[in-house]
Amino acid sequence: MIAMTHAGYVAAGWLVTFGLVGAYALAIVRRGRRLSRHVPVEERRWS
Amino acid sequence: MNATTPTGPAGGPPLPPGSGPHGPGRPPSHPGPAGTGSGATRVLGVAALAGVALLALYGLVVSPPDVEMGDSVRLMYVHVPAASYLYLGCVVTTVASALWLRRRTPGWDALAEAGAEVGLLFAVITLVTGSLWGRPTWGTYWTWDARLTSTAVLTALLVGYLALRRLDLDPDARSARAAVLGLLLLPNVVIVNRSVEWWRSLHQRSTLVRLDPTIGGDMLVALMVGFVAIGLIFAWLLVHRFRLAWLEQQADRLDLDAALAARRAEATAARAAPPAPGPSSPAPVASPPVPEVPSR
Repeated sequence: MIAMTHAGYVAAGWLVTFGLVGAYALAIVRRGRRLSRHVPVEERRWS
Repeated sequence: MNATTPTGPAGGPPLPPGSGPHGPGRPPSHPGPAGTGSGATRVLGVAALAGVALLALYGLVVSPPDVEMGDSVRLMYVHVPAASYLYLGCVVTTVASALWLRRRTPGWDALAEAGAEVGLLFAVITLVTGSLWGRPTWGTYWTWDARLTSTAVLTALLVGYLALRRLDLDPDARSARAAVLGLLLLPNVVIVNRSVEWWRSLHQRSTLVRLDPTIGGDMLVALMVGFVAIGLIFAWLLVHRFRLAWLEQQADRLDLDAALAARRAEATAARAAPPAPGPSSPAPVASPPVPEVPSR
């Protein structure tokens, strides 16, 4: 990790990867919570 | 599946369209666990987080730098698995589309949509990390190489697929058109995957899918950890996105049921009400004057 060559590219790649995944996961969970309040429990077969 | 007719408070009349909190005629809140999560997805999520921590350890600390590429090889541990799960998302969409065309059940339609959307996420990650890896390795972020161009075409196809799914069409017609487009994803995956063999390419050839893998030691371990960690993330996202698509289908159906119930209630009320006399009643028409007949 110390004196890593191309550290900026590596950091940017990893941050973009897990930043996008985290943002997308958060968006899915929030949309799911909002929508599931209006759908009966029997239609949510995983509940 | 039960057709639930939404009612107003205390079992009153159906809610009119537009009165619900999410779209027209949405029923009131339902109790029960909210969201798309379950016990299994929570376990999957914890495993994915642990996998990401392990990947960071192996990919950023344990793995040595490459002799030629230096530390930029650490991008391989996210780039290669992301590309592989892009392929898997497309395969899921193609298979689910074929099964929807055959059986017409909503679950396959939801799975096809989930596979495409998660696949698009991994396509974007593949292109971005590939560009960031290409700059120090090839000296450029982008070149119109066969692998890069075919991946960009596949990404555009996924964007088109998801745009088609958002068109304001009859749901069955929309699903049918999307399913036909979804069938085209798998041939494109084959083109992307084989492009480095079929055409002269700047992109390196397969490093793992061969009898003598060109990497080994801690680099191979880090790449395998990347496959497992990003695979767990892919599975978690796919399950949640599938459930979200399912909820969207149910919500649309409830909207339609509520709108139909409201129209029926209006029609019933109109038939039951007697015609009321009022100022709008037609005025009596004056009879025409009778001509006077002269007496003889």
